[in-house]
Amino acid sequence: MQNHPLTSKVREDFPILKREINGYPLAFLDNAATTQKPQCVIDALVRFYENYNCNVSRGVYTLAEEATGIYEEGRKTVAKFIGAESCGNIIFTRGTTESINLVASAWSQPNLKAGDRIIVTEMEHHSNLVPWQLAAQSSGVELIFCPITPEGRLDLEVLEELLTDSVKLLAVTAVSNVLGTANPIAKIVEKVHERDVPVLVDAAQAVARMPIDVSEWDCDFLAFSGHKVYGPTGIGVLYAKNERLDEMRPYQGGGGMIRQVGQQSSTWADVPQKFEAGTPPVAEVFGLMSALEYISNVGMLEIKKHEQDLMTHTLEKLQEFTDLELYGPADSTDRSGVLSFNLREVHPHDVAQVLDENGIAVRAGHHCTQILHERLGIAASVRMSFGLYNEVPEIDRLFSALEQVRKFFILP
Amino acid sequence: MTTPTIYRDLLLEHARHPKNSGRIDNPDLQAFAQNPLCGDELELTLALSGEVIQDCKTQVRGCSICQASASMMSELILAKTLKEARQTSHIFTESLRKATSEIPETVESLRPLIDLKTHRSRIKCMKLAWDALEDCAAQHQT
Repeated sequence: MQNHPLTSKVREDFPILKREINGYPLAFLDNAATTQKPQCVIDALVRFYENYNCNVSRGVYTLAEEATGIYEEGRKTVAKFIGAESCGNIIFTRGTTESINLVASAWSQPNLKAGDRIIVTEMEHHSNLVPWQLAAQSSGVELIFCPITPEGRLDLEVLEELLTDSVKLLAVTAVSNVLGTANPIAKIVEKVHERDVPVLVDAAQAVARMPIDVSEWDCDFLAFSGHKVYGPTGIGVLYAKNERLDEMRPYQGGGGMIRQVGQQSSTWADVPQKFEAGTPPVAEVFGLMSALEYISNVGMLEIKKHEQDLMTHTLEKLQEFTDLELYGPADSTDRSGVLSFNLREVHPHDVAQVLDENGIAVRAGHHCTQILHERLGIAASVRMSFGLYNEVPEIDRLFSALEQVRKFFILP
Repeated sequence: MTTPTIYRDLLLEHARHPKNSGRIDNPDLQAFAQNPLCGDELELTLALSGEVIQDCKTQVRGCSICQASASMMSELILAKTLKEARQTSHIFTESLRKATSEIPETVESLRPLIDLKTHRSRIKCMKLAWDALEDCAAQHQT
């Protein structure tokens, strides 16, 4: 297979890809955990601290106004990137996890009561499960699980059956961080909305892999992290529809989120500042803007196509490994750039260690999805996940390293 | 083929053919240990004669390093008193923590494991069996 033209164009932009690991060029195939940063994002962080560093929405001096301008411009950039109606629907958080915790606290507490139910799915990351457990435990709400089919897709027929009157929310991932399954979000939201049930979408894996349009998906909430979309760590996004924002009480208390403070009680700032207590991550927002501009220039459709080509190639190569168990859909349709597997008789840690000896970074473990791994009947798996800079020769290197693993660990 | 540098033959031998594998029926002491990062699990069962570890078995669902460590530990603590076993465990833990490559004689047989201490992510794999031993010793004390 010819290398995708995208790769040669973008690889130069990522300084870390010049690193050697254990004598080999780094093949970074753990993009589901975090993505590497292009030079423009690294430069943006430096540029912010060299030129604009200041707290926002507080000072009246020039620097403060500039920093505030940057922060609010960041909201516009995000809104445009995900097709949100207005920047008033964008709340900045520390990451996907905090975004979901924010909803599980600020929305769930005033809107859910004992006896209500929340649907999550068997393929959720712990960050889209444990916050709901905490919310459920404190309010007597029951968590129920939408199962997956044997080939690793959501069982939509069962989902429909689960949608009873007591269900008050569906929390679902757009792309599984283990199976790679890309869920049909627009279709799911349409079905669930027929029962007037709001939907929260965990877009942590989807955001860097496909175009996202919240107006097309029509979801009520959407959460993602900056660091998984080629931006800095410590910055995340929560999108919420206006009617949901109106139903939410403050999340954390502190500076920036108030209108008037009295001795015993206070009133709240307008949305979205109402949900952003304390000094926000301004430099990180500046970095995130740069990342979103960067990938928009590359083109989300281009990136999606590139990762699909890598996936098709990987699935073809997999055919040669009869002792390799693949989890998730066996064809590249409905699959995004994440793939997990086990080599029979070899523990994932051992596989990952040998791959590391070859300069190849993959993840081994349960990838924060213990429910899913239990469902698959395994304790752990090896996961490779693509980014826009990965190329076919890196995948071929991984497969030849797997031959080494097999020779080393599997008894003849 | 280049042999991955971190695996020594001895480790692999222990991983492939673990010593004292399984579980003791009606053990005097029993402990479970889990690695929350990867879900690996281990059960340690001990049979005592007075204070002396008369039998020791480990049941492991884990990687080669976890398995090898459990196997090597079982060989090392058999016929020792619980107190001596615990001292050995502390010396091993100290050796993993220290920056020097010097290894005390008591745990010399664990050298293939201790040599891997620069791979910080694998220390938990090495320590799983020893965590279970600590748990058994603590139960015995109370």
